[in-house]
Amino acid sequence: MAVETKAYSIDMRDAFIKELYARAKAEPNIVFLSNEYGAPSLDIFRRDLPKQFINAGISEQNLISVAAGLALGGKKVYVYSIASFITLRCYEQLKIDLCSMNLPVTLIGVGPCYAYSVDGPTHHATEDIAIMRALANMQLYSPADSNMAAAIVDVSLQSTTPIYCRLDKGKYPLLYKQNEDLSAGFTVLKEGEDICIIATGMMVHRAIEIAEELNKYSIKAQVVDVYRLKPIDTRNLLSVVRNAKKIITIEEHTIHGGLGSIISEILTDANVFLPLKRLAVPDELLYTYGMRENIHREVGIDTDSVVKTILEWEQ
Amino acid sequence: MTFTKQTSVEQNNGAMSALLRKSQVDIAGLEHKAKQIRNMILQMCISTGGHIVSSLSFVDILVTLYYGGNLNFDANNPEWEDRDRFFLSKGHGETALYAVLADQGVFPISWLDTRYRKGDCRLGGHPDKEIPGVEITSGSLGHGLGLAAGISLAAKMDNKAHLQFVLMGDAECTEGSVWEAALFASKHGLNNLIAIVDRNRIGSIDFTKNFTSLEPFCEKWKSFGWETTVCDGHDCKQLHEAFQNARSSDTSLPLMIIAETIKGKGIPFMENDPTWHVRSLSSEEDIKRAKEALRWQ
Repeated sequence: MAVETKAYSIDMRDAFIKELYARAKAEPNIVFLSNEYGAPSLDIFRRDLPKQFINAGISEQNLISVAAGLALGGKKVYVYSIASFITLRCYEQLKIDLCSMNLPVTLIGVGPCYAYSVDGPTHHATEDIAIMRALANMQLYSPADSNMAAAIVDVSLQSTTPIYCRLDKGKYPLLYKQNEDLSAGFTVLKEGEDICIIATGMMVHRAIEIAEELNKYSIKAQVVDVYRLKPIDTRNLLSVVRNAKKIITIEEHTIHGGLGSIISEILTDANVFLPLKRLAVPDELLYTYGMRENIHREVGIDTDSVVKTILEWEQ
Repeated sequence: MTFTKQTSVEQNNGAMSALLRKSQVDIAGLEHKAKQIRNMILQMCISTGGHIVSSLSFVDILVTLYYGGNLNFDANNPEWEDRDRFFLSKGHGETALYAVLADQGVFPISWLDTRYRKGDCRLGGHPDKEIPGVEITSGSLGHGLGLAAGISLAAKMDNKAHLQFVLMGDAECTEGSVWEAALFASKHGLNNLIAIVDRNRIGSIDFTKNFTSLEPFCEKWKSFGWETTVCDGHDCKQLHEAFQNARSSDTSLPLMIIAETIKGKGIPFMENDPTWHVRSLSSEEDIKRAKEALRWQ
């Protein structure tokens, strides 16, 4: 069970990079690639470990091929970029160079879905879960706080397969302690017997807020954070959610192929027929942008909308 | 013809065969080996189809690399850490690569008969990394140069001396990723990276000049910061010299060897004809003529 605290963390990408920096200082085999994308924490990495940092330029196809080549040469490789560019722009390189040869390269995608809210559809990674989980051998991590983001560094250093780690921008309350054991892949953050709310990434915080709100209506909600979207420990997850009266998934991702799809597939494959609602970005919203909260309201994944949906569903 | 191990040239007897001196190399022997490899390719393609003309195009390049002592490679230990790496970026040259690797003894020569594009298929229509002696999975174009650049950079970081040889098609150079990698390799001074373009001037359905602007091709690579050299891609002596010069060069730049070739080389009725890229040898008459052209062994 996670620790509940209101303490605020640092930015997830800074937490990840700081942890990796500490490891890379001791392990010269770690190589960090960027496509002209920076961060204050990365400035320190670049300054102190210049031989382990490569700015490969705005060339995402080559970025991934070079990363794969470095891994073939025995390097422990990290590739860092905006989520939309590191997934879509080089998708075939991910499939062929990384996944088909199963090379342990870790992709750090910053800003899933509407994190770059006002920057428009080019910067919205609205389908990263769907496309990345379709790649054989690829693991997917989607942490909800900076402690977990830092803990993923350890997971990635041990990994023998490629990993895609999506890190949100901004600071979120800490839900996890440092060096959290991530082997389970999901956490029940709150128990409740009336409805199970499943979320990932920054939407986990939204789920907690929703559960607190539902409490006012005497609805006891269970909150589950699925921080590893692939592979999922299906048996254990099922044992946790199968007693729920109903399940709702909330995600900042297209309705096609994201968390809602994952849960739906798991239930179907196990012949568990529970009422399930999937709240996500509808198919037609490609050109929607603005302040993140506004987009969430439009999509219906802000706290008020989700609570309203659940109350109507309860009746 | 059945596939049997050929032994007429200096067999690659482990790492020893590498780095032969210029004076030691038997050019006539290489030419004879190339002829044998072309026969093996023809046999494979008669049996199950396959990319025949694309493979015939670079046989002399491959033979000069593997049998001329230009690739520091141990057929008995293809995973040897310090080996030179050969990357077949134009994956549709699979039959030539399979024939050479089998002839070298990296995997059983019987696989060419029994496991190429059929049966318990281990040798696919494009090579994959699971095949012994194959460095990368290829088939989609524009990947090999970036992969080789990555491993070249890793070698530099670790002060390792091995070289990377990448074979690309000229039509492959219409992939943007090739030029991304070209920029990267020169910036990082990857003088352990040697690219060879099989410049047969034909893509899969047409002559390159009819659909793209590769020319001035050599100057393009120069302007991207590469050393360049142009040679006859069917002349083992010229190829051998280019490879020897590549190894002994003190340049700080990556090297591009533009090998002028003829697609389908060795079987005149297929030569320089864009329609043969995907055609298979189906008629008895074509098979007979092809065998005659290669003086079937």
